Amino acid sequence: MTEILIKNGFVVDPRNKINCEKMDIAIKDNKIVKKINEKQAQIIDASGLTIMAGGVDIHSHIAGAEVNLGRIIRPEDHYKDPVRKTPITRSGTGYSIPSTFVTGYRYAEMGYTTVFNGSIASMKAKHAHEELNDIPLLDKGTFILTGDWWFVLENLAKNNIDECARLVAWLIHSARGYAIKVVNPGGLESWGFGRNVHSIDDQVPNFCITPREIMRGLIKVNKKLNMPHTIHLHTNNLGVPGNYQTTLDTMKALEDLSTDGKPVAHITHIQFACFKGENWRKFKSGAEDISKYINTHNHITLDMGQVTFSDTTTMTADGPFEFSLYEMGGHLKWVNSDVETESSGGIIPFEYKRNSPVNALQWSIGLELALLIKDPWKIFMTTDHPNGGPFYDYPKVLAWLYSKKAREATLKKCHKSARKKSLLPSINRELTLYEIAIMTRAGTAQALGLPNKGHLGVGADADVAIFNINPETLDIAQKFRTARRAFAHAVYTLKDGVIVTKDGQIVNSQIPGRTIWVDAQTKDPCRIDDDMKRKFKEYWTMEYENYPVTDHYIKVSDKVTVKASV
Amino acid sequence: MITLTALRSFSVPVQAPCITPENFAGKSITEIKALPVTEGNCNVTLGDLFKLEQTPEETPNITLNGDLGKVKRVGQAMKSGEIVINGNIGMHTGEKMAGGKIVITGNAGGWTGSEMKKGTIEIHGDGGDYLASPYRGNDLGMKGGLITVDGNVGSDVGCHLKGGIIKIKGSAGRFLGYHMNDGVIYVEKDCDVRTGACMVGGKIVVGGTLEILPSFTIDSIKPKVKVDNITSVTGPFYVFLGDLSEHGTGKLFVNKSANSALKFYEKYL
Amino acid sequence: MSKIINNVVCPICGCLCDDLEVTVENNEIVKMKNGCAVCDAKMVHGYKSEERILKPLIRKDGKLIPVSMDEAIKKAAQILADAKYPLLFGWSSTVGEAQRIGVELAEELGSALDNCCSVCHGPSVMATQEIGIPAATLGQTRHRADLIVYWACNPWASHPRHVERYTAFTSGRFESSEWKNYMQRLKAASGRKKMEMASKRIARVEPPIKPKVCFTGPPPQMLEQKPGRKMIVVDVRKTMTAEIADYFLQIEPNRDYEVIEALRCLVTDQEIDVDKVGGIPIDTLRDVADAMMNCEFGVIYFGLGMTQSLGRFRNIEIAIALARDLNRKTKFVISPMRGHFNVTGANNVFAWQTGYPFAIDFSQGYPQFNPGENTAVDLLKRGDNDATLIIAADPGAHFPSVIMQNMMKHPLITINPDMNAISRLGDVVFPAQWCGIEYAGTAYRMDTVPITLKKVVEAPPGVLTDEELLSRILKEVRAIKIKRGEPVGQTEITPTHPDTTKPSPTHKTPAKPKQTKKTKERLK
Repeated sequence: MTEILIKNGFVVDPRNKINCEKMDIAIKDNKIVKKINEKQAQIIDASGLTIMAGGVDIHSHIAGAEVNLGRIIRPEDHYKDPVRKTPITRSGTGYSIPSTFVTGYRYAEMGYTTVFNGSIASMKAKHAHEELNDIPLLDKGTFILTGDWWFVLENLAKNNIDECARLVAWLIHSARGYAIKVVNPGGLESWGFGRNVHSIDDQVPNFCITPREIMRGLIKVNKKLNMPHTIHLHTNNLGVPGNYQTTLDTMKALEDLSTDGKPVAHITHIQFACFKGENWRKFKSGAEDISKYINTHNHITLDMGQVTFSDTTTMTADGPFEFSLYEMGGHLKWVNSDVETESSGGIIPFEYKRNSPVNALQWSIGLELALLIKDPWKIFMTTDHPNGGPFYDYPKVLAWLYSKKAREATLKKCHKSARKKSLLPSINRELTLYEIAIMTRAGTAQALGLPNKGHLGVGADADVAIFNINPETLDIAQKFRTARRAFAHAVYTLKDGVIVTKDGQIVNSQIPGRTIWVDAQTKDPCRIDDDMKRKFKEYWTMEYENYPVTDHYIKVSDKVTVKASV
Repeated sequence: MITLTALRSFSVPVQAPCITPENFAGKSITEIKALPVTEGNCNVTLGDLFKLEQTPEETPNITLNGDLGKVKRVGQAMKSGEIVINGNIGMHTGEKMAGGKIVITGNAGGWTGSEMKKGTIEIHGDGGDYLASPYRGNDLGMKGGLITVDGNVGSDVGCHLKGGIIKIKGSAGRFLGYHMNDGVIYVEKDCDVRTGACMVGGKIVVGGTLEILPSFTIDSIKPKVKVDNITSVTGPFYVFLGDLSEHGTGKLFVNKSANSALKFYEKYL
Repeated sequence: MSKIINNVVCPICGCLCDDLEVTVENNEIVKMKNGCAVCDAKMVHGYKSEERILKPLIRKDGKLIPVSMDEAIKKAAQILADAKYPLLFGWSSTVGEAQRIGVELAEELGSALDNCCSVCHGPSVMATQEIGIPAATLGQTRHRADLIVYWACNPWASHPRHVERYTAFTSGRFESSEWKNYMQRLKAASGRKKMEMASKRIARVEPPIKPKVCFTGPPPQMLEQKPGRKMIVVDVRKTMTAEIADYFLQIEPNRDYEVIEALRCLVTDQEIDVDKVGGIPIDTLRDVADAMMNCEFGVIYFGLGMTQSLGRFRNIEIAIALARDLNRKTKFVISPMRGHFNVTGANNVFAWQTGYPFAIDFSQGYPQFNPGENTAVDLLKRGDNDATLIIAADPGAHFPSVIMQNMMKHPLITINPDMNAISRLGDVVFPAQWCGIEYAGTAYRMDTVPITLKKVVEAPPGVLTDEELLSRILKEVRAIKIKRGEPVGQTEITPTHPDTTKPSPTHKTPAKPKQTKKTKERLK
């Protein structure tokens, strides 16, 4: 039994409306409690330090077949960032797609304790879980690609919402997933024959359905299942100039589905879906239009997908997008990885350059969005790791958000398009620590439906990050580099009430972290009769019995049971 | 000058990236002796493996003697000065070199001069495979500098070459100048198959026989060709353009007299 | 007492067929349905081999003497801990769970770590690292492909059910197979011999399309005429697979690169100065290129004929480039025919733990990767290592003799279920369980789909699983190092808090009312 008392720190806990108040945090075992016996407890003196809940990343590609293929094809990327073994930690390699252990260590060093994996195809879910088991120090969950699953397309085309919901519940359960992921709805199926859909009302070949119907249908399914998270949406036409219109159309198409004022969809890496202009030459920022819409509507949450100017690797289930990126030229490698009846995928190593007009503008679009959207509970900080940049660039992104000076310093080095074609230079907003805590933990935990994460109230998980920032003496906007260093190396990170990093160094790597997954219990469970099994045999090259992820693949299970209304 | 003599022949690979003129400069013999190297998985010091002596001459800065076939990464990322290796040397010699000179009197291992930017490497014996080629998965070929080889070289020499000159007095293995973008490779004798495969630019001059890939097309016959500012070779030469499958405009100069089998190409001229 | 176990996964080739029906009597497999002849040979007969090792053996005075497991583990750990540069090789016929421990052991030892793919499809992986790969799972081919190219491989012999399950003989959502009816008749016969005979008979009576051999013959016009799925085989000799192809292209040995280069030129509308490439007239190649460009969904499956012939990974690189170029005209994918059932898994496990798929060197305390430098064959050829551990592989039967001689200069530890060539040469010889028959675990199909192998029968008493054995060796190595005062890594431990294993009770989910009800009941 461990008891820890963190004393005299400045607590930033937006969920409980605590803004830089000096108070103590008591931890017993792996929970935050009201009070403990001070004499028995281990004391952490946090005077002059800022205390936040452990970071919660809403979208980061850290595990799965796609991620690992990215690792395999980039030896040159690992070569420049080897990580030596120590008596405490395992060796590995870093940079854009770090090996599993290094992923866990580097997240923990930044004070992150929970990470959600961007997308996996259910057929390869066992692979993702094996990797997640090898990522220590983090609680993790994974989203399941559902949008182009044949069963979904068939049932939604017939408007069979209830049957579709039962199937989706089975899918999420059998893949041990956390939420419904929709990537370029309809586009992935079309890519099976090398085609794509170009608006939300394009017909998906062979299936008599449109992206609009898929998205609306799955939101209804999500509601019927009472899933903790909304659907996690990667919009159509991602990465195509002029796609901000598609994004607006998408958001408008989903407006009426929110009945209780709560979000119904999370649009991920919005930066890539916010391009204005007919072609790359006339490329402009669409951030103003998107943020205007978001500021007046409540049914959507977003994450940034910020570009950080690094030599990284883009990877997505959006196969057609990666191919069009490849066709733009200048790339050495292109990977396509389609998964039967479920998904497609693609990988391209990509270097975002400051002197490229497009990349520079992409950088400013991400920041514009985060700063123009007034409510930080609606947009969260990500780089869509590793698509916009590796996750250990988060401190850089934070600096751009809380310091105009930091933005100016980077703008100076960027191609002039970043200045000319966006509103960024005119934005004076500088985020406070409170707002940063929302964008990195409180907001993401709320959007994901994790009641015990992202805050430090009694009963919350004892995941705590302590940063060397004294809000009384340090003006983070002015001394952005000092604060950036502080965010890069937490003074302490506590996972499940155990100190895992100290002064940015791993001191305990033996906390495996839990796998959070959803068991949506439908009234009638999905009937797997002979007919269904026969269909299964036709659709997949794997037997039905061998398809689901078994308990063997979950090292530490954290099942979230929800009662569905079908 | 520091002279390093191997105390014994090594049975397992020795990684010694610390042997560069920059690293030795301003250090006493004792300090140099204490520089870390690895022998297999054991962390040892330079002094454990080599006898070190200091003599007053200025060049070369470092001389290596002994059986060094398993010593890797000598002169890695060196910027200036000169290293003379008496005998054979292991892999990755002069990797990422940015200046200075390395002389190898014996044979060199694979990846010698890999990703090099500037400087000179002289190999009096044979060059290995992947001479001046980038690391796996990279297209960072040699950018500049000069490599001369008196003997033969292995396969995949000068991949993704982006500049600089490679001169080979002997023969070359297959895939010479694979995917090269710029720069010059001159082979005095024969080439194995697939010379210049996927090349998009640059120049390969072959004095001996070779086989032409189907994706190359004949351009002209030239009496002589310039290799660098001081050397030009008289032919006549067939000039092939390629690699067409990569829409390349690389030039392959092939000695006409040595390659009578290629005579049929003349009908397209 | 006989019991039938369904949906057993076949632990032999990269196809990982998972529809076997196995009958077990008295802890012995007596019958297997649905599988191919190779599967039958191992699952029903092979694993019961008389050559089975049942006790650990240590070489004393030139002879292998049975010893206790503890003694063998101590001896093996001592050899590995004493070595300056050991090599751990094999891994492709064991499960992912064991490979994980293998990486940890290699890291602890600072050794070289390589898997069998360096002598089979390693070049395919290397080519992927140079150029990427447009790939798809096997089902994608089944549903969509209307052009299937088998290049330099003979699945009829190496992956007997590949054609039947995934390509020409199967029907998918969008593509049907003319061969399916014939195949249904064939399915009645299980043994491979019978299948071959029957297929020959059918082929003689009414072949759907008579295969043509092109060496100098007329251009393959039937490729345009024939409706539905087409299958092209490219090889240096007429194999059984070629017999069932719609079109067979016989090229000169070691000319794959040139032929593919020519195809690439044709696909990108370039003129070719020569008349023939690799023995094939350009006009014929033009027809093949047309067939490739005009299909809806094409696929190239390539085998060892490409990866291990002249050019090695550059052959694959250029084949991938061809498939990539074809994607500008249509949809085209390419995929290696991975051999051993879990060689893909070894690549994947190594990659997620270290970043590199094979040819790894831990001597610097962190992983380094370089095929040609750290690959087993190259490393042994130079005689770099000073101890070897072979697991789940038989290089004794497959490596060149020079390399085996170098290996034999130093202590050799082997972990294999039966007394194969390498076990006979070992200094410490461990018995092992047959994974996929005697113990369960994860394997990765050739298209990286993970499938759980099943345990069908009990292993002989005292024989450990690879995972268990490696863990014990690792533990022993650590104990030796601690004695010497060297730093060691930590053995993974299970969760510190017992309640973290339980579902988190405080999740505010709609399930909560149920809990409150329960507590209320308790209060009452």
